[in-house]
Amino acid sequence: MVMAQPPIYLDNAATTPVREEVFEAMRPFFGPKFGNPSSIHSFGREARAALDEARERLATCLGAHPDEVSFNSCGTEGDNTAVLCLWRAMRDSGRNAVVTTPIEHKAVLAAAHEVAHEGGEERILDVDSNGVVVDASFDEQVRDDVAVASVMWVNNETGVIQDIPALAQRAKQRGVAFHTDAVQAFGKVAIDARTQPFDLLSISGHKIGAPKGIGALFIRRGTAFEPLIRGGSQDRGRRAGTENLAYVVGLATAAELAVAEREQHWKETEHMRDRLQALLLAAIPDAVVHSRGAQRAPHVLNISVPGTDNESMLMALDLRGIACSGGSACQSGSVTPSHVLSALGVAPALANAAVRMSFGPINTEADVDRVAEVFPKLVAKARSMAAA
Amino acid sequence: MLPNRVLVAMSGGVDSSVAAALLVEHGYDVVGVTMKLFSDGSEVPDRPCCSLDSVNDARRVCERLGIPHYVLNMESRFGHDVMDDFVAEYVAGRTPIPCVRCNTFTKFRDLLHTADSIDAQWIATGHYARVRDGELLRGSDDAKDQTYFLWGIDRAVISRMILPVGDMTKAETRAIATRLGLTMVANKADSQEICFVPDGDYVKVIAQRAGADSPALQRGPIVHSDGRVLGEHDGYARFTVGQRRGLPGGFADPLFVVAIRPEDRAVIVGPREELLGTGVAATEVNWLVETPPVPGDPVQVRIRHHSPLAHGVVLRAEDGEVEIALDEAVVAISPGQSLVIYSGDRLLGGGFIASPRRARTELPLLVG
Repeated sequence: MVMAQPPIYLDNAATTPVREEVFEAMRPFFGPKFGNPSSIHSFGREARAALDEARERLATCLGAHPDEVSFNSCGTEGDNTAVLCLWRAMRDSGRNAVVTTPIEHKAVLAAAHEVAHEGGEERILDVDSNGVVVDASFDEQVRDDVAVASVMWVNNETGVIQDIPALAQRAKQRGVAFHTDAVQAFGKVAIDARTQPFDLLSISGHKIGAPKGIGALFIRRGTAFEPLIRGGSQDRGRRAGTENLAYVVGLATAAELAVAEREQHWKETEHMRDRLQALLLAAIPDAVVHSRGAQRAPHVLNISVPGTDNESMLMALDLRGIACSGGSACQSGSVTPSHVLSALGVAPALANAAVRMSFGPINTEADVDRVAEVFPKLVAKARSMAAA
Repeated sequence: MLPNRVLVAMSGGVDSSVAAALLVEHGYDVVGVTMKLFSDGSEVPDRPCCSLDSVNDARRVCERLGIPHYVLNMESRFGHDVMDDFVAEYVAGRTPIPCVRCNTFTKFRDLLHTADSIDAQWIATGHYARVRDGELLRGSDDAKDQTYFLWGIDRAVISRMILPVGDMTKAETRAIATRLGLTMVANKADSQEICFVPDGDYVKVIAQRAGADSPALQRGPIVHSDGRVLGEHDGYARFTVGQRRGLPGGFADPLFVVAIRPEDRAVIVGPREELLGTGVAATEVNWLVETPPVPGDPVQVRIRHHSPLAHGVVLRAEDGEVEIALDEAVVAISPGQSLVIYSGDRLLGGGFIASPRRARTELPLLVG
């Protein structure tokens, strides 16, 4: 493949490169500091100290107590754990339902389906055409028979932001545990467990410059919990298994950087995103930006151009050196219609045209210029072919 | 258009994998694409194409070759253009050949559209057929020749086609796969059946798409061509012209299906000589040469994949129809199958074999 310029990566909502600082912080744990944190000897103590410190550092990033931080393997594990472990702990006390939204990540939706499969009740909240949870629906569904309500803070496909502190407060008033998938939110919105009454919150390392394969679940003190993974006594019995110490340290380091840089990062990505959005809408006036009418995280631009299809667009963009994504990718790699856009009431043809561009620290304003130049050309070509 | 870029349709089989590999060797800018044509639910075992394993094989080949690979979801278009037609043909009492429509609509129309969208000048497949001077020739390996399935494509596409394995034998293709280290596909079995018909049970596909209450799946009479009702069958879609299986026995001469009559769901049977046809007529004719044959021209035809070439003369060729008089009678000309017309190695064109009574011995064979 001949490519004049290096490719542009506009898929930061899918994953991000490991930051240099993170890589350096992890390095000793692949070498001299290889101990098992559960061992009683000096190697173990050294590892245990690093684990405790990492837990404290991540807790500080979340406004949490260290014992409220449970390290795990990824956002999917956190989401699964939050929904299933809460429900299994509560099901026998008259709280047999779980409530979530139709625009959640599959990690939450599949867990809610599993609840239904195991005899519980799965309730899906209404969202408006921007993907924002409808208040009346929340009040109606989140009753005293609910074990856990799970609402994602920032949607991975459109970037729409929910008012999580308010929803968590309303859940709390009904005695319902509240989980939020904050995988896309962490490092974007301000998160503080001291002032925001969520009970569980999941994050993922590889969205913020840590490696793939590490995540964490915040579990507020006093929250009922039935472990998913059983074995040794690691993590207070909440998640058995030897800790992935190098990655734990990597996550803590990346999280600290993300929190420290949060406001600056918001400003920079929002500027790039808004400029690209304006340039594309100027060039393609009938393009539709999803969730545009609501508050969005600064890094996501999800745009549909009528008369195009995202399979061809994504291929053509990729071959021009621009990496974006469509809806959720199925196992075979083909693009399937997005359940998120469907829930927003987007017509199938328009949903199948959706291209998600997501910004991160590795992007520059020059990337915006190049995409703003190439994308409309590909649209014009696709449309002329469709008309032929 | 990028004059060096070629889109290769990759099924995950050895032929299209070698096609892609040869194009890479020749310096083309190769883009691999696997079409997902139908849902491969867990109830469907590994199929020659479209299963997840096949997609994975195609991806592994592309990774090995260092070329990009994409999966295109063409389920709805394939379902409409190929599978719905497949079912409708059986319901109409004919024996369809979906591979023709897949080539015509899916590979060399829809996928060409994708090639256009990525500025690829060329489209390549693993078909055993050859391109020369804007025409298609039969593949060098007579046992593997696939021109029978290619007669329906838009003639203008031929000038953009590359068929890298068309002048090889299957054994040579496998040897190249081995030489290039494409171990994941080198010894894969040939695909024999229709890709979306698991275990050859096409009746199940008809029942799924047309409903189990489709007339084609209801009981009907088995009628001898002399008018006698011999018994009942449990759905005329289970029969095809020339078939013996499933018919009553105990007759002096074996009986064959000679026609299917959907109007009264009758399967018409008769002795072998009633299967013989000395002529054949086709509709929806498509020509792939600049100067199609005219009445009086000698041609060779195939009435079935792998049937021997039959010699004949064009009787009529107009209005999208063609009639051929055969030098010697052939057996079991089945409505719905393809009539494919050659002059030597050249694929001239083809059409769908027309209504049942045309496949009988009387001449001339008028259409319509």
